Amino acid sequence: MKISSLTQLMAVKEKGLAQTYPNKIKLMVGLATCGISAGADEVYRCLSQKLAEAGLDVVLAKTGCIGFCQKEPLVDVVYPGKVRLTYQSMTPEKAAELVSSLKDRRIMDDNLLCRIDQDEFLVEGVVRPYANPHPPALPAQVPRYNELPFFNKQVKISLRNCGFINPESIEEYIGRGGYRALHKAVTMLTPEEVIEQIKASKLRGRGGAGFPTGLKWEFARKAEGDIKYLICNADEGDPGAFMDRGILEGDPHAVLEGMAIGAYAIGASVGYIYCRAEYPLAIERLKIAISQAEAYGLLGENIFGAPFSFKLKIREGAGAFVCGEETSLIASIEGKVGEPRPRPPFPAQSGLWGKPTVINNVKTWSHIAPIIARGPEWYANYGQGESKGTTVFSLVGKINNSGLVEVPLGISLREMIYDVGGGIAKGREFKAVQTGGPSGGCIPAQYLDTPVDYESLAALGSIMGSGGMIVMDEADCMVNVAKYFLEFTMDESCGKCTPCREGTMRLMQMLDAITAGRGQEGDLEKLEKMSRLIKKTSLCGLGATAPNPVLTTLKYFRDEYVAHIRDKKCPAKVCKELITFSVVADNCTGCQLCRLRCPAEAIAGAKKEVHRIIQDKCIKCGTCYDACKFDAIAVE
Amino acid sequence: MDPDKCTGCGTCLEVCPIRYEVQLPPEEEAKARAAYAEATEEEAVADIIARHRDEPGNLLPILLDINRHFNWLPRPALEHVAGDLGMPLTEILRVASFYNAFSLVPRGKHIINVCLGTGCFVKGSPRLLEGLERKLGIAHGQTTDDMLFTLEVVRCIGCCALAPALRIDDATFGRVTPGQVGKIIDSYTKAAGQ
Ligand SMILES: Cc1cc2nc3c(=O)[nH]c(=O)nc-3n(C[C@H](O)[C@H](O)[C@H](O)COP(=O)(O)O)c2cc1C
Ligand code: FES
Repeated sequence: MKISSLTQLMAVKEKGLAQTYPNKIKLMVGLATCGISAGADEVYRCLSQKLAEAGLDVVLAKTGCIGFCQKEPLVDVVYPGKVRLTYQSMTPEKAAELVSSLKDRRIMDDNLLCRIDQDEFLVEGVVRPYANPHPPALPAQVPRYNELPFFNKQVKISLRNCGFINPESIEEYIGRGGYRALHKAVTMLTPEEVIEQIKASKLRGRGGAGFPTGLKWEFARKAEGDIKYLICNADEGDPGAFMDRGILEGDPHAVLEGMAIGAYAIGASVGYIYCRAEYPLAIERLKIAISQAEAYGLLGENIFGAPFSFKLKIREGAGAFVCGEETSLIASIEGKVGEPRPRPPFPAQSGLWGKPTVINNVKTWSHIAPIIARGPEWYANYGQGESKGTTVFSLVGKINNSGLVEVPLGISLREMIYDVGGGIAKGREFKAVQTGGPSGGCIPAQYLDTPVDYESLAALGSIMGSGGMIVMDEADCMVNVAKYFLEFTMDESCGKCTPCREGTMRLMQMLDAITAGRGQEGDLEKLEKMSRLIKKTSLCGLGATAPNPVLTTLKYFRDEYVAHIRDKKCPAKVCKELITFSVVADNCTGCQLCRLRCPAEAIAGAKKEVHRIIQDKCIKCGTCYDACKFDAIAVE
Repeated sequence: MDPDKCTGCGTCLEVCPIRYEVQLPPEEEAKARAAYAEATEEEAVADIIARHRDEPGNLLPILLDINRHFNWLPRPALEHVAGDLGMPLTEILRVASFYNAFSLVPRGKHIINVCLGTGCFVKGSPRLLEGLERKLGIAHGQTTDDMLFTLEVVRCIGCCALAPALRIDDATFGRVTPGQVGKIIDSYTKAAGQ
């Protein structure tokens, strides 16, 4: 059936709501890549089998990731007209127990994370309570979803449907107000009005550079050309970042709808989604979403009966970081080597096959429909200064609550790390937070009160980037971290321009020497000089930002570099050439565990006698340190 | 080339007519040649080309599908593509050698990807890699002699919150400890033995 009017859209909405909120108990399993890697597919299989065995009339559904990856696998039980309960860290055993509790009409107390009393339909601005008319008294001590510190500072716009709908059902997306904004744009607004609204919302690109989205669209709209293109950048090359994956796997239609609105605004009839090949599940869900939208006529010819047609195609990346850069990405879609070219001309003037092209990040696209539906003023209420709205971060590393979080711009790093993130894991000391991936920098503790927005992070020598936030603690060596990023950029440098190709290699060699104890006086000045040179002369953003991790660590953690060079010591005890392992005789019980685990046979000692590490054989892998239960291995 | 005089300006690279003829070490070259004989499923390649023929910019999707079908890019298949699309082989080789996803040498039955993305790096994934290298007796980028495993490194598979992560073929493993690595590999070896 094609949807060509609002009435028809509303009919599908009813169908979707009935699917999302059936009149019987519904179980939802978070089946995004994060959930699956924690064992959610096994939990799903087990639930399905046990439900069949018990002969229970219960709906079992898939959903995306609600963001709290730390607690995966997550299983939700929705009691119609009562409440929704979220269970954490589920296992097949617990799943079986859950089914038997359902059978006995009990509520399982174990593994209960929180309760959800109501759903917010963001694009419609309405709240739908689960409980009708009052929430049940049960279960008593379980916190509400929005009372958990992890969720309570979050405002979910990009992630509005993730963990709430089945990402493989367009009806459920429409049920929560999906495709209403597209209808509004196509039937009630002119393309210029759409662009005006996006401009007024002050939305800036969430892929890294933070260019105003409305302005970019306006350039492309005004550019001469019979054919125009639209691209979604889902290359998400920054290591340690998975925001785009979360959205594509949890709510692909949010991106499709945003792109269709964008196409209408700039006058494009073909769009591409360029998704990295490392995300097979995201690609699969996108394919499903596109074919569903085509079947309903929400993509294709004469959308909503208007003289507007739009087709979407998926292109898979082939594992090259530089292809996230817009001109390289365009070359890659054209079937060429993904090398950048100088700008101007910008893609908005001359992009894919020389035609005007708008390229935006996944998160940017997912903000479009809510802005059109709720209006730019509503959107600009969030955030501060020149950074309006919300953005999604992936909070990972040495932090208690890792996962995907969406917060209004302007929140402080401290709130992100200590409130949302729950502080540093294992009670260790915070050392730095790395933002912006290989183009960004490491921010030390004294700047924790900095607001997270484009300008403030840039002032510290880092960048907002696309949303990776990696927390590091006292056990991370910052020189080693800088070396890690340089190794990455050196590998990923496409080799077209000399400063980047040769410069990153030289930086890497110097850092390698320093971490190996071969550093010399004067190296730090050389590093700085070389870094500035690379920044100034590189062809594209990859080279121009590659030295940032070196420059920021040099600025904020200089004493660590000095310790490596002057004292030949690694204060964090990471750099292998500068540390030795030894046995603390007083603590060693002679239990043999380390001797048995050692992969290099570098530990000698009889049972119940103090062991000894044979330094010539020791490969400094740290296995003995982890194995020892008595603190009897020392690292110096 | 005289290393003392080279400034790394890259001009020779720009003008070199055979720069994208990939140079393999002799033993890899021999392995690749031997595998060509088995890898001439012309129909499969023709099918893949037909699927993408009318798409503009179709080289990458074609190479991705061939790479998926064979687990690597056999030379005869690339020659087939060159002939069929009327494209110089050197251009195809250039694209094939640029992207990390492609392999110009045969790879094992199972491809192990250890994540060295930042999230996994700070959570100790280099030690997983070392453990795997020891266990399999190969360095990353190499394939075991029985052609069962190829060990590769990836920079982030989007599982950073469950770091350290690794992927074997389509299966993703999160929160892997160095101790688990051996068991995971053994389960694959055992399945292959049956
Ligand atoms: C080396 C490099 C890598 C990049 N990688 C990505 C990426 O993975 N995803 C992305 O959206 N933008 C990436 N960008 C930014 C893009 O060039 C471009 O600015 C962005 O896609 C524009 O979309 P936006 O305005 O919505 O942010 C990268 C830029 C550079 C220089
Ligand atoms: S850093 Fe390893 S999965 Fe992202």
